[in-house]
Amino acid sequence: MDDVAAKPDFSTRKSWWLRASRLLQYALVQLLIVVVCLFALHQSLPEPPSRYLLTEFNAKEGGTERSVTLPHYTSSRFSMNDPPLYSDHFSWPGGEQQHAWSVYLPRFNNGVEVLVNGVVILDSRRDPVANRPDRNTPEIAVIPTSLLHDGQNDLTIRLLVWGPLTGFLDSVYVGPDQALRPYYEQRTLLFVTLPVVFAAWQAILAVILTIMGVVRRHEPAYGILAAAMTLGVAQSFLPVAVDQSQFSRLNAILITSGPLEGSFVLTFAMLFLGWRWPRWAALIFAPGLILVVVALFGDQATISQFFVWLGMPTIGLYLVLLALIVAHSVLKRQDVAVFVLGCAVTILLTCWIRDMLSVLQIAPDGRIFVARLSYSAMLVAIGAGLTWRFARALNQVDSFAGRLVTQVRQAEDQLKASFAREEERARAAALALERTRLMRDLHDGLGGQLVSIVALSERGDASAPIGDAARAALKDLRLVIDSMDDIGGDLMLALGSWRERATAQLRPHDIALDWHTLSPQGLPVHPELRPWHVIQIVRLLDEALTNAVKHAGARCITVTIETLADASGLPSGRISVEDDGKGFALTPDGAAATDKKAARGLRNMRSRATRCGIELELSSGAGGTRVRLTLPRRFPDSDTAGA
Amino acid sequence: MTELSDEAASQAITVLLVEDDAPTLWRLQDALAKAGFQVTAAATLAEARASLTASTPKVLLTDLQLPDGHGVDLIRETRQRFPETEIMVISILGDEESVISAITVGATGYLLKDAFPTDIAATVRDLVAGHSPISASIARFIVRRTQNHPEPPPGPPLDTVKLTPREIDILWGIAKGFSYAEIAGHLGLSRQTVPGHIKNIYRKLEVHTRGEAVFEALQQGLIRL
Repeated sequence: MDDVAAKPDFSTRKSWWLRASRLLQYALVQLLIVVVCLFALHQSLPEPPSRYLLTEFNAKEGGTERSVTLPHYTSSRFSMNDPPLYSDHFSWPGGEQQHAWSVYLPRFNNGVEVLVNGVVILDSRRDPVANRPDRNTPEIAVIPTSLLHDGQNDLTIRLLVWGPLTGFLDSVYVGPDQALRPYYEQRTLLFVTLPVVFAAWQAILAVILTIMGVVRRHEPAYGILAAAMTLGVAQSFLPVAVDQSQFSRLNAILITSGPLEGSFVLTFAMLFLGWRWPRWAALIFAPGLILVVVALFGDQATISQFFVWLGMPTIGLYLVLLALIVAHSVLKRQDVAVFVLGCAVTILLTCWIRDMLSVLQIAPDGRIFVARLSYSAMLVAIGAGLTWRFARALNQVDSFAGRLVTQVRQAEDQLKASFAREEERARAAALALERTRLMRDLHDGLGGQLVSIVALSERGDASAPIGDAARAALKDLRLVIDSMDDIGGDLMLALGSWRERATAQLRPHDIALDWHTLSPQGLPVHPELRPWHVIQIVRLLDEALTNAVKHAGARCITVTIETLADASGLPSGRISVEDDGKGFALTPDGAAATDKKAARGLRNMRSRATRCGIELELSSGAGGTRVRLTLPRRFPDSDTAGA
Repeated sequence: MTELSDEAASQAITVLLVEDDAPTLWRLQDALAKAGFQVTAAATLAEARASLTASTPKVLLTDLQLPDGHGVDLIRETRQRFPETEIMVISILGDEESVISAITVGATGYLLKDAFPTDIAATVRDLVAGHSPISASIARFIVRRTQNHPEPPPGPPLDTVKLTPREIDILWGIAKGFSYAEIAGHLGLSRQTVPGHIKNIYRKLEVHTRGEAVFEALQQGLIRL
């Protein structure tokens, strides 16, 4: 016991060390990932040649006018009236008429209206994608040549800001379209097309996971993830209208659904990593639901305030929780999938913190938001991983089924073999048993009679009854052969043959055989009747017959066969053999007192009757002898007395 | 059942006895000669054939295991060449293996080798009178073949299709040890007709030549040409 008690202590300490080292390893890997992430994010996107760059603007906001350098932040507001106005000049070399000129705005919050020489050439509010502050949508607009003057031209940008973000305007480029457009396309690909691709991918996975969730109800993780993805897809594709529309409430709900989505992802992670579902876990959904309610009933400002002060911290909290849960799981079970998930969460968390710093203007970096993009990528990775896991499970099921089939086949073969062995054994046993029985039967009758014949013939006495002995031997041989025939439990069929032999036996002695069958069917059928029962019964009857012939000096023997109802009303057979001979005196134990041979015959009859469960009744008097056999309801299975 | 011998009736009856075991042959020959039959003895198949060519016996009694062949062949030949001759097989045990195979080639009864001399003579006389003997065990064997078994029971092949329900009832009675009188009483027949039925049963169990078999099959609709 001491040994057993000591072991856990040792192993606990050992596992503590193991855990600590594992945690350290994991933390180091995550740190490395954070560093790599920050390095990657620090890489600035390629920008057009600086000769087309415009940075020095004159900003007019709230009645005051000052000169600013782009990128420039303005305060947040919730009204479209009196937006900040940025104006500058650029010179257009009139000679290059063959090249169209464009205004390229890499990044702005939330909307812009661009005027060239006082004419509006771009309003980003018409572009729903551009209205999403979390997408870093660029804009480009070709300046109609007719608007351009040789030399100095006016460029005015109206920055439309609606909360909760502060307004932001990045550097502006004005130059030949062919020089600016590649940069625009690059950003579009990265910040507009890629999210759409991710969203489409997410939509497909949402469908697959929904089906899996519906089919596999006992694994709700799939369904939860499907819900998160569906929400994400809806968020990606729903247009954001600036003005009030009939869907604005729905839009508001979807825009503020981030925390709800976070709740789903957190729930998924808990289920997926095999956590027991705690009672408080329902609270995970509380912030998301509060935001939905606010979006349904609150005005724009309230929604924004709630989103900033409740939604954003919630998302952050969930991300941290997610990172902790995953880290815990990594420590508990060394699983590659969980480890990869942990890395993904770290990347996501890094991107989110960076975005928050950007929003709060603590780390200004051109307002490129990457959290949403990395989140989509993570979801797609998770979905793909789950599908892969599912496919692998299917393969396992297949191989399991294959193994099962093989095992079942092997078991079947073994069973067949053992069954064949058993059958063979049973057959051999039956044959041995039958041989024993046949041997005993032949020994009882034929053997003895043949020995008797040998003895008689050696005496050389002409009067010796050799013929009788030989005839008896033949009779017994016929009996043995006959008894082995299948009579289907109908003793009447055996008695039919016996009657023939008895008639033939009695004829030379001039004794009549009176045969009475009192019931139409004779005797009841005994399916359990075996050849050895038949032999015993027939020999018993033969002894009765022999006694009547040899010792009683009978002139007529009456055999009566009948079926009687016993005490319980069930049929039982009875065979009676009566003679009209001189009879004999019986001792109290039922043996014949006088004749030695007769006494032996009677003893034999009793022993045969006992072996077959037959009730033997002997009565003898001056009027003759009666042997009455009452057959058992059921013949005994084994020949115990004779063994 | 047996009628007491009437020597005058036996006078004209010729018997060909085929048996290779000399003591058995003497015994049977004595029993038949004492009863007044004209007995010709043969110990081999060849002798029997020679004797058959010389004169046609009224009764043929033959053993099955002969030194130069099988008694079944002799029975079949005799049945085809001399349809009037009554044939019986001599058997040690009266077992179905030997008796049924003899019946299917044309025998109409059997005689046990150890039967009492009076019984031997009576049996032959009954046979000539048209009464074929049948034992309970043979009757049992035949009726068992009339029952439909999924697997054919062991023993010699036997076609029982032609037996009528009445004939099968008679066989059941014999198998269960009822006397002819009792069977006749149960089935509402005359006691005298029962032996005739038994001879009919034997005739129906006989397997005929191929041509006859085809004719039979056509009659029963078993084959179509």
